[in-house]
Amino acid sequence: MSGIAEEIKASVMGAEPVEVSYPEKGYHCALETSPDKLPDIVRLFDEKRFYLECLLCTDYTDYLELVYLFNTHLSPCRVKVTLKVDPQQPVAPSMSSIYASAYWYEREIHEFYGVLFTGHPNMTYLFLHNDIHDYPLRKGKVPVPPEDKERLDSFKPGEQEDTFFINLGPQHPSTHGVLRVVLKMDGEYIEQAEPVLGYLHRMHEKMAENRSYQQFLPNTGRMDYLGPMSFNLGYVLAVERLCAISVPDRAIFVRIIATELNRICSHLLWVGAYLADLGALTPFLFVFDDREQIQDVLEGITGSRLTYCYFRFGGLYNDVDDQFIAGTKAFVKRMWGRFSLYEKLVTGNVIFVNRTKGIGTITGEQARKYGVAGPVLRSAGIACDLRKVESYSAYNEMEFNIPVGEHGDALDTYKIRIAEMENSLRIIEQALAKLPGGPFMAEKVPKKLKPPRGDIYQVVETPRGELGIYIVSDESDRPLRMKWRVPSFSNLMIFPELARGMLLADAVAILGSLDLVIPEIDR
Amino acid sequence: MIYGFIKGTASLIAGLGVTIRAFFQPVVTSQYPRELLTISPRFRGHTRLLVDPENPEKNKCTACGICVKSCPSGSIKKVEGEKKEGEKKKTATEYLLDFTTCSQCGICVEVCPFDALDFSHAYNSAGYKREDFHYDLVKELMRNRVQ
Amino acid sequence: MVNELLNMASSDAGKMVLGLIGVLVFVVVNALLLTWAERKVAGHMQRRIGPKEVGPFGLIQPIADAIKLLGKEILTPAKVDKPLYYLAPVLIFVPVLVSFIVIPFDASLQVTDINVGILVILAFSSISVLSILMAGWGSENKYSLIGAVRSVAQNIAYEIPLLLALLPVIMLANSLSLKEIVEKQEGLWFVVIQPLAFIIYFIASVAETNRTPFDLPEAESELVAGYHTEYSGMRFALFFLAEYTNIFIVSAIAATFFLGGYQGPLLPGIVWFLLKSYFLVFVIMWLRWTYPRVRFDQLLNFAWKGLIPLAFVNLIITGGLLKI
Repeated sequence: MSGIAEEIKASVMGAEPVEVSYPEKGYHCALETSPDKLPDIVRLFDEKRFYLECLLCTDYTDYLELVYLFNTHLSPCRVKVTLKVDPQQPVAPSMSSIYASAYWYEREIHEFYGVLFTGHPNMTYLFLHNDIHDYPLRKGKVPVPPEDKERLDSFKPGEQEDTFFINLGPQHPSTHGVLRVVLKMDGEYIEQAEPVLGYLHRMHEKMAENRSYQQFLPNTGRMDYLGPMSFNLGYVLAVERLCAISVPDRAIFVRIIATELNRICSHLLWVGAYLADLGALTPFLFVFDDREQIQDVLEGITGSRLTYCYFRFGGLYNDVDDQFIAGTKAFVKRMWGRFSLYEKLVTGNVIFVNRTKGIGTITGEQARKYGVAGPVLRSAGIACDLRKVESYSAYNEMEFNIPVGEHGDALDTYKIRIAEMENSLRIIEQALAKLPGGPFMAEKVPKKLKPPRGDIYQVVETPRGELGIYIVSDESDRPLRMKWRVPSFSNLMIFPELARGMLLADAVAILGSLDLVIPEIDR
Repeated sequence: MIYGFIKGTASLIAGLGVTIRAFFQPVVTSQYPRELLTISPRFRGHTRLLVDPENPEKNKCTACGICVKSCPSGSIKKVEGEKKEGEKKKTATEYLLDFTTCSQCGICVEVCPFDALDFSHAYNSAGYKREDFHYDLVKELMRNRVQ
Repeated sequence: MVNELLNMASSDAGKMVLGLIGVLVFVVVNALLLTWAERKVAGHMQRRIGPKEVGPFGLIQPIADAIKLLGKEILTPAKVDKPLYYLAPVLIFVPVLVSFIVIPFDASLQVTDINVGILVILAFSSISVLSILMAGWGSENKYSLIGAVRSVAQNIAYEIPLLLALLPVIMLANSLSLKEIVEKQEGLWFVVIQPLAFIIYFIASVAETNRTPFDLPEAESELVAGYHTEYSGMRFALFFLAEYTNIFIVSAIAATFFLGGYQGPLLPGIVWFLLKSYFLVFVIMWLRWTYPRVRFDQLLNFAWKGLIPLAFVNLIITGGLLKI
């Protein structure tokens, strides 16, 4: 960990990396830089095989601060690189030629803050439409200049001879929500794919700045409606870490059980939806049968069936009862017996295997460049599961495997998700066995949270991969900035590259294998 | 290749076996509305006011307004109360909840210092216009008590 | 008056008219029944109940659906190629009706026995490809067009193994008349002699009727609804009707060629014929609710590299054995 600070110092003239306390901040090393040195530093990280975890911007009124978070997959070494930008004329060099994942993050920052990235190949808008008047995330009222508005319409297809365009979405059966992908087709083959986002954009990050920490809690489940527990968990962990609230053991274990149940639920739905994408509709109903059991169990403690809001700062909404424990045990028992059915119906099926084998193959290098996360990342053979690599809650006390793939294709992501369900069942069994008594809520949690000044980056492993929450506090009861680094966003980024040259049917198979949740991408 | 062919065929037959078994198994769905499931005790419907156990004529709400301030969506439009003679605190006479914007997060239930709020079990609310979901919880309470 | 009617009915022309009316009624009833059956089969395979509210076991449901479709406004998208767009749903129905004329439901229950019966069916069923192409092209919709192109490629590819699988039976029976083929199976069904041909025919017929796992022309997760994306109301219903009737026809031909048609002990011939046909229809539905969809290139490879050579080998062996 200290190694990287030394290396930056040695390689880049005048760079002053500072080591920080990881338990307090969530990153190991901070470094402030200037626009001319930035490319050298980023290139250094690229050589050291770091991936660009997140790129975000914060408006401190006097200046804008760009934050580049770099990390390595297997041994966490998170480095925060900051770059101050003049708020009057915000310009920064584009890093998209070095890291492909910067391509979308820079577009996002451009439309929300008006920062112009020089050298960016396509500085158009990602989420917003051309009726926007002010930059939404700037603290003051900063109008969008007219020349910027011309950049708004992000994709203007121009048909050539022998090619035509197809809109896959925003209302299309295989996009699972309102994602639009514009495909440039040559017959049945895809020449180019361009996702168009923003149909479900609700600006949760702005909402976070306008309400107290407690009030934002229900929003977390609305971003990823299939894995709300993980989002809930990430948010409460981040705020607890920021305010130094300790959580009783019982709450920690219940959190793990609830999150893992939710993970199984999410993976199950993916299996069903993916098979529906491939044309088999029966597995969809079978997984709903299983899901229903989980939802019954979770409804018993949370009171809702989909967008849970169960965790609180310092503990839980309420305690679990015997009925929950019995229900969970019954579900675990039932679920162990269901895998053989899925094996026969899906995993072994020769049509399914032929449809997914060798489709959407991701290499480790591609995964790093695009910053993909979760089962997609693990399918490329990188055993990065944040529950283990950057353990939180009590996952380090649990025994489970990180399933990895060999080929990085859609079939691998399927197998990984099935194996992850089995591992989640194992975690639930262990957590149930270890579940301690005692209070479910910390005693001294202030009614009004006013965290100390500073920032924090908290990661959790959601069913879709790495969720990062970056919070900047200015000692008020509302966050100055809250950035959500969501896994589906970075996973979708790789889609155009994977889809190129594939058949239309393969594009649907690839899109499905990424397990996208559109409200999470659009936030 | 022949081995692959046999394996493939076997996998197809195994799949058929799964579905035909399911075909003869009993259904797992329940036939709503002919069959009703029991609602979980923690089910979150819209919020409701609770009756004061000491005085069944009264609700527990004192119209302090903490829930109004804490609601993230501004769904609690108005809480008003009046003080009756000989009582220390006010009692709510009007509690307007705009259920269309409520996300059932339960913050109001948690912050209430008098534990006057709770979730109802109304799961099948339906209406023709938005105003149908603008509830006055005091009136709802009275109506439910009459029933 | 009554006598005259009876006379008319006994004459050849009268028999033809009565038969046609019977066929029309059967086509509609069969299609309605099959849509109901499909939903019931799907429901129970997915551990749910399927239609149940309208009528006993939901049997009236398809009629309610038909009335709904009839009552819908017939929309015509602005940019369609009108003649093609209007003609396609009508044209898809012609081969369906014609095929029924030569199918023997029982020893005496056949509209007319043509001595080239199977040729008539196969020739007319090729027309349905044309109407699918017309629907896809005329709709001015990219999804429809891709669906239509897929359909044409698929139908051409699978018509060959379909024919090649029927040929050995024709050679064995020494006739093209469906009735004679059935008569020849007294005692021994051809499926026992020609199991490979039966399997090839069955696979090819699933592909011919665009059913899962070969439902690429209407692959709903890729092409929304394929060639009939732009059709609504009664025009859509015609496509739907044709699809289900086609399923019955291919099953009926399989029953006639391989399973002894109306031959069977105890029960009357028509019952045997319908039992065999509907069993095959059930298998086709069963396949649909079990398998995912194959990919376009896999589909064509399977026909050209798998089924066609296999069917040829089977044909040559059969021919050789017959000579000896």
